[in-house]
Amino acid sequence: MVIYLRSGGKLRDRLQPDVDQYTRRVEVEGTPTLREILTSMDIPHALVAFGFSQGTVRRLDYRPTEGEVVTLQPPVAGG
Amino acid sequence: MQAPKDQFDQRYVRQLGVPGWGAEGQRRLAASHVFIAGVGGLGCAASVHLAAAGVGKLTVCDADRVELSNLNRQVLYTPQDIGHEKALVAVERLRALNPSIEIAPVVAEIDERTACDLVRGADVILDCLDNLLTRFALNRCSVATGIPMVYAAVSEFTGHVSFLHPPATPCLECFVSRTPPPVEPAIPGCTAGLVGALEAMEAIKFLTGIGENLAGRLLVIEGLEPRFDVVGIARDPGCPACGQPRR
Repeated sequence: MVIYLRSGGKLRDRLQPDVDQYTRRVEVEGTPTLREILTSMDIPHALVAFGFSQGTVRRLDYRPTEGEVVTLQPPVAGG
Repeated sequence: MQAPKDQFDQRYVRQLGVPGWGAEGQRRLAASHVFIAGVGGLGCAASVHLAAAGVGKLTVCDADRVELSNLNRQVLYTPQDIGHEKALVAVERLRALNPSIEIAPVVAEIDERTACDLVRGADVILDCLDNLLTRFALNRCSVATGIPMVYAAVSEFTGHVSFLHPPATPCLECFVSRTPPPVEPAIPGCTAGLVGALEAMEAIKFLTGIGENLAGRLLVIEGLEPRFDVVGIARDPGCPACGQPRR
């Protein structure tokens, strides 16, 4: 199936967007978790704090569904 | 120092007209106590807006001293303040801004041992900290005392804001992992200023009772796109801070 990962922040370079300047189309086998998808893309888990889609925060054990757009967030802790 | 009533009314006249605010909202603010944890980029912005709005008591807590590299975003300080305690300098500037409110400096580290004593008596806690470990200590204190906490964090052009008041809402550990960011983040002053002002807004809404807080929701700001998202966050029943103890 196909899902879409997007990031507007510092993760964007790692994501290598190809749909628009923020979004990457990703083909996956089965229904993997976000963590498994990041591993397959060689993106260290430590660079992603959580994702969100359809108005809800998604942890890395979330399994996106066909066509879903998940926005990834880096860890943010500065002040 | 208490201002005469006509001066008081004139000072706040441009906010008293906000629907639902009025004299009663202003009275509530004047009777309120906000604990500001950290007067860095977030805390400078938030404290200015809370002092100017007339919050009756502010406690400003920070153990650090002003450094040259702070000045791009910590707008209460000048080059002449370098080497001085941030809390003391901040309070001096805030008192000049609004002499009619009480502002107390605390030069102290916030950690698991000290947090609950430091925030005692506050109506709301503002998390204006710069690292996850101290945030978690403050969060545990918010959970233990029942004092709501406005959470915020920034990195580059990204900002997060939420209003945490468990058990009605998640706590910080329900949705933020303990994995710290890999490097010290770059923080433009505009990001810290924007997000700090939003923290003040959350506190003012809570204290005056107007509007809706970001309870159970996280505001995610991506300034470069630019894009603002408000996304739902849920309580984690297994949360080590606010969840049910496992049997």
